[in-house]
Amino acid sequence: MSTAAESVPPKGGFSFDLCRRNEMLVQKGLKQPSFLKTGTTIVGLIFQDGVILGADTRATEGPIVADKNCEKIHYMAPNIYCCGAGTAADTEAVTDMVSSQLKLHRYHTGRESRVVTALTLLKSHLFSYQGYVSAALVLGGVDVTGPHLHTIYPHGSTDTLPFATMGSGSLAAMAVFESKYREGLTRDEGVKLVAEAICSGIFNDLGSGSNVDICVITKGKKEYLRNYMLPNPRTYVSEKGYSFAKKTEVLLTKITPLRELVEVVEGGDAMEE
Amino acid sequence: MDSEKMIPLEGRRDDPLRYGIHGVKSDIIEPHPLESAYRSSKVRQEEMKKKILMNTYGAAFPIKMELDRQILSKFQRPPGVIPSSFVGLEAMNGTLESFGFGDYLNDPRESESFRPVDMHHGMEVRLGLSKGPPQPSFM
Repeated sequence: MSTAAESVPPKGGFSFDLCRRNEMLVQKGLKQPSFLKTGTTIVGLIFQDGVILGADTRATEGPIVADKNCEKIHYMAPNIYCCGAGTAADTEAVTDMVSSQLKLHRYHTGRESRVVTALTLLKSHLFSYQGYVSAALVLGGVDVTGPHLHTIYPHGSTDTLPFATMGSGSLAAMAVFESKYREGLTRDEGVKLVAEAICSGIFNDLGSGSNVDICVITKGKKEYLRNYMLPNPRTYVSEKGYSFAKKTEVLLTKITPLRELVEVVEGGDAMEE
Repeated sequence: MDSEKMIPLEGRRDDPLRYGIHGVKSDIIEPHPLESAYRSSKVRQEEMKKKILMNTYGAAFPIKMELDRQILSKFQRPPGVIPSSFVGLEAMNGTLESFGFGDYLNDPRESESFRPVDMHHGMEVRLGLSKGPPQPSFM
């Protein structure tokens, strides 16, 4: 008689298979690739009607700038966004996964997601991996209980603050916030302060650079200001222009998308009182 | 050989090509510090949930749930190409509305060493007519 646990087929997931092999290779004298320094400035603050999140757009691979205009403000739910610092792959995987969980939860309950739900999902995931998932996050959103701003550290500890900074440029950005933040900022004042904090990170921290991204979340509305400021434009562009080799891939057949069998209707998101 | 003198090797994965030859040391020492926590956390969470239910609804409730779980986990398609969906089981234990690494990483069905299940053999194993694992894959 088989037990119940045996009758359910094995599921996939995280695998430790290669750890033993890697350990053996290290003992045999293989040099492991070392950790690469990450750098970011991400900030968030609460203003009179909601939350403003900000981020720089530089992605680094140790001393190399890998991407000059990457996105660090990730979508979590229509009313919740999350800035990520640390390993880019980890922050994206974690925020995408929690965003899927929130979507499933919204389908189940038929209500708008709350920021504490996202916070609990994120911190329990990060804590269960004991800091090996290196994602330092600034989570902001507006729900039925008002605007919320949280910071989440890679080991799963969290803070609830009126203004928060994360990443290697957090000190420079926090200096700006601590001198200029006050309660009841208007939207324009808030956006200006966030942009100033990010700029302070961009110009004083080597791990941060390029442009400023800003996301303003208010009750029932969000504004994603991608490349709100471009303080480091490209200085040299060749007069002759650049010519690139022609694409080698030629599409011969026309792709016709399948007819949508089901019409998806969004609804029931609003919280009923 | 006397059964008393033998060392029981329970819970090991019988695949020397993939996991290496078994040694006592490699069974005891785990290669990664996270592994034991990862394995035990799920069990501990379930135990805690059971305890909470027992304190809230009485001792019979988690036992009844366990019975439901056993019934629902056995409710599945005949072994073959289409995997069972376990909608009832997932609705009961709450995994229907959760989403994690197990849903998109390292799916055993996408493994390069996956062998499709023979329906007749799988059915015989399930009914107790023949021996062997129902799914002759490495995982």
